[in-house]
Amino acid sequence: MHSLSRRLLVSVSLPLALFFGVMMLVLDTGFRDLSRRSVEEVLDRQMVALIAATEPRPDGGYAPAMSNLDPWLETPRSGVYAQIHSQQHEWRSPSSAGLKIDFGKPLQQGQRNLAYSMVGYDRVAIESRGIQFEGSPQNTNVLTFTVAVSLGPFEEQLWRFRQQLVGWFIGLMLALLVTLAALLHWVLGPARRLEREIHAVEEGRSERLGGGYPRELAGVARNLNALLAGERKRVARYRDTLGNLAHSLKTPLAVMRSSLHGAGAETVSAEIDRMSGIIEHQLKRAAASGGALFGQAPVDVAQVAGELRGTLVRVYASKDLVIELAIAPGTQFIGDRGDLTELVGNLLDNACKWCRSRVRLAASADAAADPRERLTLTVQDDGPGIPAEDRPRVLQRGARVDEKVPGHGLGLAMVQDTVELYGGRLEIDTSPLGGARISLRLPGR
Amino acid sequence: MRALVVEDEAALRDSLKERLVAAGLTVDVARDGDEGLFAAMEYPLDVAIIDLGLPGLSGLEVIRRLRAARKAYPILILTARDNWQDKVEGLQAGADDYVVKPFQFEELLARLQALLRRAGGWATPELKCGAIVLDTRAQTVAVDGAPVELTTFEYRILEHLMLRAGEVISKAELTERLYDQDFERDSNVIEVMVGRLRRKLDPQDQLHPIETLRGRGYRFALPRDAAS
Repeated sequence: MHSLSRRLLVSVSLPLALFFGVMMLVLDTGFRDLSRRSVEEVLDRQMVALIAATEPRPDGGYAPAMSNLDPWLETPRSGVYAQIHSQQHEWRSPSSAGLKIDFGKPLQQGQRNLAYSMVGYDRVAIESRGIQFEGSPQNTNVLTFTVAVSLGPFEEQLWRFRQQLVGWFIGLMLALLVTLAALLHWVLGPARRLEREIHAVEEGRSERLGGGYPRELAGVARNLNALLAGERKRVARYRDTLGNLAHSLKTPLAVMRSSLHGAGAETVSAEIDRMSGIIEHQLKRAAASGGALFGQAPVDVAQVAGELRGTLVRVYASKDLVIELAIAPGTQFIGDRGDLTELVGNLLDNACKWCRSRVRLAASADAAADPRERLTLTVQDDGPGIPAEDRPRVLQRGARVDEKVPGHGLGLAMVQDTVELYGGRLEIDTSPLGGARISLRLPGR
Repeated sequence: MRALVVEDEAALRDSLKERLVAAGLTVDVARDGDEGLFAAMEYPLDVAIIDLGLPGLSGLEVIRRLRAARKAYPILILTARDNWQDKVEGLQAGADDYVVKPFQFEELLARLQALLRRAGGWATPELKCGAIVLDTRAQTVAVDGAPVELTTFEYRILEHLMLRAGEVISKAELTERLYDQDFERDSNVIEVMVGRLRRKLDPQDQLHPIETLRGRGYRFALPRDAAS
């Protein structure tokens, strides 16, 4: 029930079904009434004709003159049957030949009875009347006329009527619902567009929502745009502030260090290192966004890697190394550009420090993987590698496996922190090149 | 070698200047971006050290304008913000290396010397030209494996000539790059120094490491070793 149009359709079709149901019930009752009355009329007509045609017979019984008899009564199993009962005699119409019909008990003068019964598999209505012809002695010769009419044709008519009724109503209801669905589709068009545009902003295909929304949604779109712009500005300002904070904390540290002389300089210098390490770590943690900012474009991995390679090749110009990039075309990181630059920068920097001459960065995306682990980034080198027993330790903040090359531990711990913020994974093992291989799994495509 | 330090923090600037001078460089200083840009445009520099977080014109902008004006000497960035985006931007703007604050002075000096070497076309810290070997890290000179005692000033002249071995360097340029701005300039001093260098490096007068090109200047004439 998470769709407005489905809710509307359901809430409209329920009363509609109820309305049609009641209508059908009313019409059905009316038609059944009508059909019962026409059964009674047929019975009455047959009864009157039978009574009128009946005359005494020489054997003392009573029977209708064959010439006046209704043809229905002569045809066997026609569905119309009759019986004339007197004390001495009983006449049955030829139509009832071979049938077992319960015509009921004889009646007194003036009595009438209407009943329903079965003849074979056929339902019949049975009417009986007790009649004494004029001129007969009192209570001596009361005749009971009984006529039975099969209900088959009437019931068949009723069924046909019901079928038509249901057919028409269902057709009508479907037509109504289809019309309603089409109307809803049109009415909710702008809402769907809003959803589409928000999705586009989410995926970074668009910076803001478009205009031209109907009055009811224009405010929502406007406020969302304002929120997006405000959020982007806020994050930029936040990072700027953090950068300024780093500058104003670390410049005095640089002054302190540069004016160190004589005894105790080593100790103070080590403490300055620690302080600046803490500042660096905490500010970087605070600056890492750990997720795609709403409305932020996915980051092209090849571009970031290319820029970093250009930087590192110059920084390590005296080391004669080669940085190979193997990045599947179109590989993108879903998240913050600054975060990706930090991750790849730290990994490549470590690899450049440790390698003899070769560093390789590979990146590819796997659409079938968990969304938070679709992008695989691998950095490897041909240096000494990280021994298995040291691997858990290099991920601890500030740990340095080899003190000779500064900054190894801190960089990798920072990478680990950022990867965790994105819900990704970091693995360390041995590269086919001979050195360390660090693999990251991150959100991407 | 003449270096420019553009740094707004006075204490850091002064201490940098003091230690760079002690390491044998001639140092100019500037307090902000505008002053730094002026100095970097006007002085005959070998290297510039520029802080990124400058008041006024930003460090990045100074670097961009210098490169746009075809100033080709190496530039070292000082930055307090240790993030890769800044480093990438700095190097894309035209800088050659970076040092993150708070730095060890020795590291800064090593990077500076590496930049100077690379600018002269040298890959290693040892400059080898035939029999003469100059070690920029230890600041020592040896001829045929035997160490030669040089004064600071003699060493600086030799280093300058050897870093750009094969190029002609005028007396005026040497004076400018080896003296402070406010030092009394006297080109006779250079002539005397070069004469003393020749005697110390080549007592038998066989190697002829330093050529004099009349009216144009000096040239370090021994070929560079292929390995370096």
